[in-house]
Amino acid sequence: MASSEEERVPATNSAPSEVAVLPQKEEGDSTAQSSGKKKPSPLEKGGTLRGEAAEGKDPSPAALGKKSSAVSGEKFEDPRWKNGNWDMTKFVKNGKMDWDAVIDAEVLRRKWLEENPEASSNDDPVLFDTATVPWWAWVRRFHLPEAELLNGRAAMVGFFAAYLIDSLTGVGLVDQTNSFVGKLLLLITVVGILLVRKNEDLETIKTLVKESTFYDKQWQATWKDSEEQQKK
Amino acid sequence: MASALQGILGTPSTRRVCEQSLEQGAGNAGNRLQSCQISVRSSHLSAACLSGRSKLFLAASTPSLTRNSRPGLRILAAAGSKKLGNRKLRVAVIGGGPAGGCAAETLAKNGIETFLIERKMDNAKPCGGAIPLCMVGEFDLPLDIIDRKVTKMKMISPSNVAVDVGKTLNENEYIGMVRREVLDSYLRERAASFGANLVNGLFLRMEMPSDANAPYVLHYNLYKPGSSVGVPATMEVDAVIGADGANSRVAKDIDAGDYDYAIAFQERIKIPDDKMVYYENLAEMYVGDDVSPDFYGWVFPKCDHVAVGTGTVINKPAIKKYQVATRHRARDKIAGGKIIRVEAHPIPEHPRPRRVRDRVALVGDAAGYVTKCSGEGIYFAAKSGRMCAEAIVEGSEKGVRMINEADLRSYLKKWDTKYWPTYKVLDILQKVFYRSNPAREAFVELCADEYVQKMTFDSYLYKTVVPGNPLDDIKLAVNTIGSLIRANALRKEARKAVLT
Repeated sequence: MASSEEERVPATNSAPSEVAVLPQKEEGDSTAQSSGKKKPSPLEKGGTLRGEAAEGKDPSPAALGKKSSAVSGEKFEDPRWKNGNWDMTKFVKNGKMDWDAVIDAEVLRRKWLEENPEASSNDDPVLFDTATVPWWAWVRRFHLPEAELLNGRAAMVGFFAAYLIDSLTGVGLVDQTNSFVGKLLLLITVVGILLVRKNEDLETIKTLVKESTFYDKQWQATWKDSEEQQKK
Repeated sequence: MASALQGILGTPSTRRVCEQSLEQGAGNAGNRLQSCQISVRSSHLSAACLSGRSKLFLAASTPSLTRNSRPGLRILAAAGSKKLGNRKLRVAVIGGGPAGGCAAETLAKNGIETFLIERKMDNAKPCGGAIPLCMVGEFDLPLDIIDRKVTKMKMISPSNVAVDVGKTLNENEYIGMVRREVLDSYLRERAASFGANLVNGLFLRMEMPSDANAPYVLHYNLYKPGSSVGVPATMEVDAVIGADGANSRVAKDIDAGDYDYAIAFQERIKIPDDKMVYYENLAEMYVGDDVSPDFYGWVFPKCDHVAVGTGTVINKPAIKKYQVATRHRARDKIAGGKIIRVEAHPIPEHPRPRRVRDRVALVGDAAGYVTKCSGEGIYFAAKSGRMCAEAIVEGSEKGVRMINEADLRSYLKKWDTKYWPTYKVLDILQKVFYRSNPAREAFVELCADEYVQKMTFDSYLYKTVVPGNPLDDIKLAVNTIGSLIRANALRKEARKAVLT
């Protein structure tokens, strides 16, 4: 089977077999080959990552092999999930629509499907669109708690910094905000708290910056060549 | 260009040099030079004079010129490209796929002695086989080459939300599905009909020329008809177009450098007729971590079977796992099918660091002209082959003069200017929407929007970026951000949730 990936050799016809029972070959063969001094096979060279990074930029836990024990390989089932959509009538609580419950249900459905991918079916298509949950439900559930957290942090940092500067320089809080340096520091603090929430965020930002220019660099590479020749 | 001209005309010394060298050049008969002289005497160089069509001899004997001319203006002139005398320019095109076929056709049509070297004349290259509508018109393809006209696409998210794409197509618009062996041989035969010499041989290596007018010596194995054993042969040509695909030997010979590539793995499956009806003119795209960490899985209809495949850049050793997952996702729709063929091929992710060197240029997959996000390469291969050939025709004045690197760089410049926005936009789309499962969910959600469908198909089918209604664009931007935020929020909650 490994030879069928070598593009110079015409693709060998595998023995015709039923789709459902095609035996799964071990992935080990091609990697074992190149562990020695051999030239890396086409499956090895050119952008292949290893380990967890190889599962994508933001892999689901299921892709990393961390499946929860509750999933047993059956289809996703929930009494409120009917015909590929959530039955909104089942989410009414005290006469009002309970959007949080809809969000929770969808979270569980997506988690289940990440760990246990199902075949997409024409008879039973999935039709749910997250936009049916109104925007204010999303804001209330996700944005407000985080906004509270970040504002709290900003306030704590700001207060402590103002106290420190006041004790060192004698400039009061109001006078601090009037100065240009004060305003600049305020901006840096606010932006910093927004962007850097965990230690990993610094790495993420660096990666994003590199990513956004990487493709351009690859295209410009051929012109660097000509510039060097021009200089000669 | 015009403003740059004015910049150059400003300095008296440069104008003098231009006149001098033009008068020198007057010795070589040439209509375009005469027209240049006329315009110089009327003391303004017309833009046509300094365009790629003619060459100003900015000779090396006046080094002051480069210092006086405005920075950023690069007139790459051939320092005395010599006339070839009583023979035509000889160009070898290595590789007889879409890029090679179109390049050879354009060269042969314009009177250049063309040799198209292809190792397997009935090669069925593993390929998705989708061509945009504009290719049919631009390359005058006969409609019977197209096996199927795909007018509907289904995008399926990781949680199996399925969205139908294609509602905005009118009845003349479609994505053409072709068999590579049919398309490639049609383009090759057409090139041959214009006078290109088809050579059935395997290119081995080439020797670099000793100076600017010496030929390239190509070593190849010639396959005589009926024999499968190659006879070593050599060929001398003045220029080479490397159109030999992702594992280009020409690229290796000119030290073009390496690129990242995806491995695309595909199984051709013959499914029962009743299931084939569903795929009559519909193609499917599956996205998800299970199917590929950075690409998509597909089910494309071919002439009488479907091709089920997937691809990846970063986790190539696990490609079979992804293929199994793709087959599982399409399980109900391909149940009872038989695998008739298994194939795989590398797909370049970005251009090689060096695409042109001396009188060798790379086109198509060899150069790395495959878009991200969709992995489309056939149209760009054909177009780059044609553009490169046109640059050679122009630079050599239909085969009369020797060319040099500047002529091939003008093809690169034209190509980069024309298609860079397309490639960049698709790169951004891939980075944003193939990033993670939430991003893929948002992607599928967005594809349900009609404006998105219209924009996507317009840019894919006609290869032009049509500016849409700004209000709709703003609405789309808001929707994009909204979808991404919602999907990511759901995913973050999922980490906290416990399945019972």
